[in-house]
Amino acid sequence: MKKFFVKSFRTRLFAGFLVASLLPLFLCSAMLLQTFRLRLNRQAQLETEEHLTRVTELLDTLYTDFHQVSTAMKSDRSIAPVLEQGRGGDTAVYSALFGVTEGSRDYARFDLYGKDGVWLYSTQNGPVEGELPVNWGVLYAARQTAGLAFASASTDADTANLTFASAGAGTGTSGALLQGAAQISTDEGEAAGYLVVTMDRAHLSRLLEESYGSQNGLILLNQYWRPIYASEPSLTDTVVPKLRRLLLDGEDINDGDSDSSYSTAYLPEMGLYVLLSRPQTLNQDTRTLLGTVTLGSALVCVILSVFMGLRLSRQLFSPIKRLHSAIGQVVHNNLNVQVTPYHDDELGQLAGQFNDMVEALKANQAQLIENQRELNEAQIRMLQAQLNPHFLCNTLDTMKWISKINQVPQVAVMSTDLADILRFCISPEEFVPLRREVEILRRYVEIQTIRMSGSFRFAVELPPDLAECKVPKMVLQPLVENAILHGLEDVKDGIVTVRAWTTENRLLQICVSDNGKGLPQEMTGTYTCREQSSARYHLGLYNVDTILKKNYGDRYGLYLNHRPDGTGTAVTATLPLSQEEKNA
Amino acid sequence: MKERHLCVLAGLVLTGLMTLSGCGAGMGDEPSVEYAPQEDRELVIYTSHKEEVYRPIIEEFEERTGIWVDVVSGGSNELLKRISEETETPGADVMFGGGADSLQAYEECFSPYYCRDWNMLQAEFRSGDGLWTPFSSLPVVLIYNTKLVEEGQITSWNDLFAPAWQGRIAFCDPGVSGSSFTGLVTLLGVMENGDDTTMQSLAVSLDGRQWQSSGQVLDAVADGTDFIGVTLEETAMKRIAAGEDIAIVYPEDGTCSVPDGAALVRNAAHQENAMQFLDFIAGRDVQQLLETQFYRRTVRTDVEPAGILPAPEEITLMDYDIDKAGREHDAILMSWAFYLGGVDTP
Repeated sequence: MKKFFVKSFRTRLFAGFLVASLLPLFLCSAMLLQTFRLRLNRQAQLETEEHLTRVTELLDTLYTDFHQVSTAMKSDRSIAPVLEQGRGGDTAVYSALFGVTEGSRDYARFDLYGKDGVWLYSTQNGPVEGELPVNWGVLYAARQTAGLAFASASTDADTANLTFASAGAGTGTSGALLQGAAQISTDEGEAAGYLVVTMDRAHLSRLLEESYGSQNGLILLNQYWRPIYASEPSLTDTVVPKLRRLLLDGEDINDGDSDSSYSTAYLPEMGLYVLLSRPQTLNQDTRTLLGTVTLGSALVCVILSVFMGLRLSRQLFSPIKRLHSAIGQVVHNNLNVQVTPYHDDELGQLAGQFNDMVEALKANQAQLIENQRELNEAQIRMLQAQLNPHFLCNTLDTMKWISKINQVPQVAVMSTDLADILRFCISPEEFVPLRREVEILRRYVEIQTIRMSGSFRFAVELPPDLAECKVPKMVLQPLVENAILHGLEDVKDGIVTVRAWTTENRLLQICVSDNGKGLPQEMTGTYTCREQSSARYHLGLYNVDTILKKNYGDRYGLYLNHRPDGTGTAVTATLPLSQEEKNA
Repeated sequence: MKERHLCVLAGLVLTGLMTLSGCGAGMGDEPSVEYAPQEDRELVIYTSHKEEVYRPIIEEFEERTGIWVDVVSGGSNELLKRISEETETPGADVMFGGGADSLQAYEECFSPYYCRDWNMLQAEFRSGDGLWTPFSSLPVVLIYNTKLVEEGQITSWNDLFAPAWQGRIAFCDPGVSGSSFTGLVTLLGVMENGDDTTMQSLAVSLDGRQWQSSGQVLDAVADGTDFIGVTLEETAMKRIAAGEDIAIVYPEDGTCSVPDGAALVRNAAHQENAMQFLDFIAGRDVQQLLETQFYRRTVRTDVEPAGILPAPEEITLMDYDIDKAGREHDAILMSWAFYLGGVDTP
């Protein structure tokens, strides 16, 4: 898992986008749904309670009415004897019956039964016949209590149960849903007859309609949760058995996975439960819809995340890829590569810097090649230069012996010196001890002395501890040559002095001075000529300075000055003090 | 670190989802559990009676005792089998319905109980060992279609074997229907020429054809498919009351009246309540309603006939050997299957 995430930057980008989009989406949906449901539920609950209260009030009022009727009938002394005799059609009884049931007859039918359960009087229009079993149902219940007893008669008008409630005879209580009965007693306390209140579907509908909310369902249940009345007949068949099952299993009736929620009220006098079923505020459909919307949004988020991930990674990757391939080409030594920066962002700047770097590399390489070429040329020249000197040296030796034989000592000396100088020049080492350099200087001066008939002197002040200091070969000769040929031109008793010393900061300074005519004022100071062409008239100085600078760096070189005592020139070469051979 | 972050994120998302799906329950009003009955106010009844029979009785029982009854209804054989499978933890407290012979056959599942009014029950309907409590008595009768058969053409069991009715007799598979089995045993008791001969003759009369539910016997006779049928008085009376073209014959050569009953399940969870129920169904109030409501005959001595059903004196009744029927149940069914299968169906 981790490996997978780390491996692909694209996947990480995608995951990041996904989290950043899905998390808020889900949290928002959840919060929205919860708030939505809480609000709806609270409202629905309040409404339900209101409805429930209204229904219970209606039923309570009804019960009070029934109770008044039964009390009135029971207290009417004239009724019991008539019922006891089993006489029907007595107008006085009817008058009493209609009198007390005034106002209640819309919601129930009132019958009087004889003591053996035979029907005698009814408020219903039209013929009624029948008998109720006194040992069963509502009359049995009425016999057991002094008050008004209720029993559910039936829930289904077509079953045998119904005829059972009406004791098998005729249609007396057909369709009855709820019956209440009160025993009417004789003065002796014996049962004289029964007042039976019967409510059928029409009665209950008329009473309860519009009291429980149009979208709600109303169910009346008896004490044992058997259905008596339901606003929708289907409720009794489907819902009530289910709820009763839940109750018997000791579960809450709202626990069932149902699209409705239920509120209950109990009416102890009638032994009735009022059950209000209201559609679940967020039913399955709404939840499915919300779920679909959320899932749809999530899908959009996923698609967007993929798209953005791909796009951003492409924006990142294509410059990186271009840089990558460019670097690859550089690795393979192609320095003509350039990366075109698309945007002026960090990656664009990176591309620019890469281009600069490649340019610099290219220039550097060109410089290197140029240097190499120059070096090669110099080496070729040097080889060419080394071609003949041995022949020259040998010739000079021969000349030395011939002149000795012929007694021309000057030629012998000169050819000996020249041969030594030449040998020194073509020797392979670049750096030589100062002692050797001075030795060669003396040979050179010897030649010049012969040439110039001894018109100058040459002095060397070399401290012994500096004798072994390494210096580049032939750096002093051009300086001395300058002093002799230019400085001492037309000067009597000329003197050329070579002096070496060290400074405090371990620099070796070698000064070649003369007492000649000095040098022009503009040339004093550090020797600064950089171009060979402009140094045409003092090529020796230029060469020495260049050798020093090339070998030791720009800090070193020649310093030109007048001699401290006024006449002549002093050229000082400064170079690092080194006993070892200096590797250039 | 990364994994931890991922875990936290996943947790958050999960929490969100859980809130989303939401636990909707518990939002309601006060819990309704308080309306539920106490454990000792419950009773579970397995019944093979039709709803129109058990419902008024059970509702009245609830009203009178305050006991909540949980009804499981089904076929009697099916329920008895279930009880026998549930002996470890009985689901039922009472088995209500089923012929006395069926209940006897499952005696190991039931506890004896002598109901309160035991002495008021007719002697022939008392279980010897109190294993079951009788509910009603149901004579086996012959029925005929009033349009196809004239009154007096059928008077006795013997008439079933007349060639005129061959292939016109409706009879249910006694292996399926308990009442049909009772009918077969009754017939065997009446005919005196040996069980095997009788079964063989009946199989020939049926042309090897039998119905698969007792209701079909009534249907077949009522719609003229068959002329004559064998069924119980109660079932036939219901159809007659519904206006169907059926008439009843109580065979002259005698018939049996077998009680159906109820029994207390062994180790029942609500034994006290179950006993109350048995008392109730054998009680006077229920017994008084049997004839008028259900066309069933009372099993009590102190209940006057309502006059809807013919008086017992008018019927030739024989004793039904319940013990024998239970004992030879499987043997009789095997023979019957053998003989019925031996008939060449035309």
